[in-house]
Amino acid sequence: MTLLNIEDVYQSYEAEQVLQGVSFEMQQGDVDVLMGPSGSGKSTMLRCINRLTEVDSGDIWLDDTHVTAPETDVNELRQNVGMVFQDFNLFAHLTALENITLGLKRVKGIHPERAREQARDQLDQVGLDGQVSAYPAELSGGQKQRVGIARALAMEPKLMLFDEPTSALDPELVGDVVTVMQDLAAGGMTMLVVSHEMGFARSAADDIHFLDNGRVVESGPPEQLFEHPEQDRTATFLSGLQADQSQ
Amino acid sequence: MLQTGDWVFVLSNADTLLSGLVITVGLTLTSLSVGFLLGFPAGAVEVYGDGILQRAVKVMGGLLRGTPIVVTLLVLFFVVSVSESAFITATVGLGLRSAAYQSQMFRGALQSVDEGQLEAARAVGMGKLQAIRHVIVPQALRRSMPGFQNEFTIVLKDTSIAFAIGLAELLTQGYNLFTQSGHSTAVLEVFLVISAVYFVLTFVTNRGLDRLSDYYAIPSGENT
Repeated sequence: MTLLNIEDVYQSYEAEQVLQGVSFEMQQGDVDVLMGPSGSGKSTMLRCINRLTEVDSGDIWLDDTHVTAPETDVNELRQNVGMVFQDFNLFAHLTALENITLGLKRVKGIHPERAREQARDQLDQVGLDGQVSAYPAELSGGQKQRVGIARALAMEPKLMLFDEPTSALDPELVGDVVTVMQDLAAGGMTMLVVSHEMGFARSAADDIHFLDNGRVVESGPPEQLFEHPEQDRTATFLSGLQADQSQ
Repeated sequence: MLQTGDWVFVLSNADTLLSGLVITVGLTLTSLSVGFLLGFPAGAVEVYGDGILQRAVKVMGGLLRGTPIVVTLLVLFFVVSVSESAFITATVGLGLRSAAYQSQMFRGALQSVDEGQLEAARAVGMGKLQAIRHVIVPQALRRSMPGFQNEFTIVLKDTSIAFAIGLAELLTQGYNLFTQSGHSTAVLEVFLVISAVYFVLTFVTNRGLDRLSDYYAIPSGENT
């Protein structure tokens, strides 16, 4: 079943064209990775899907919701689309647990007691059952990001968006977060991930979409893109990436 | 020159000063409350509002901040006559002025909260107002504390300006003492006493607000 359908999306910021006709689709349970140089539009593409950024033209469908239609209720849409941010963006004044219960209580209207139970389970799943009452500033980067993932998962989204989830982490903390993401992928969650983590892409991605200048240059399974890219642009970028990460 | 007789005179009229002190404390509380109730929303409008409302708030704030508080009180009392009560007039004047300053304090605090906080709240499906209320405001209020302590100190001492409209606050009551016939030599003693009272009030309240601020501080992990 097609869960996400992106059709010919254009987006510009001031005079700059950020997305210039991006199209791809994802089936339920797919894990796709967006790669490409900085400024290629990866994050913008992600943000169009939960409408943190508005498209100029083109259509996005999530299941039977017409995401880009002006009359679509964004708050309802966003409950179905979890987002994990590069800089975590945990609510600084709330504990790990409260970061998760806030949305459950205020958006889903779940009873506080029940919300706390769900949040505990969710933290347990990302290996943070011991950090329930820690504040964000008391957590390591890897722990923060796992709280970020738990916060998004708690809303029971149909699709999870990850915007460079490991780029702000110290190298030794990347592994914890990648493991959580791999588990999630194995559990059947539909995930769209902006990341240059080749290890994650190889182990979990169904397709990689290589973006450059706001266009999808090439799409395909990781082995195909990494070993036999068709486009020179893809080959150059990915071989550079491989060289960096094998160091 | 300090004289024993003058000290005895001042201390024996402590009840007069005490009645002034009650007015001073009362006026500080009412003015700060008016300032908060109007200043906080005004600050929020400056950050999140648009159009006529935002422009109106900015213009009002500019006018209030740009007028000497004595002039504001005199105009409110003798020209506009907002109330026959000097206390109410002083509350309106000091309250509006404080609102103008508090709005800037809150504007700065709201703007200082990272944009990602609002985005994260919106991303879980919270509406803009919900996100501001549950995520931005609690953080902004904590960051406003130092500014608020400052504002408290200023308002407390500026209640003495209500002297100009004859309100029987601490300074006025002190004035009433040394202007009694035969006691003009007590002027220095009177001013020393009321200055000490202002100082003690300011000092004690600020320590109390420090405690409050520490209590609500967001743990950073550095002290644990």
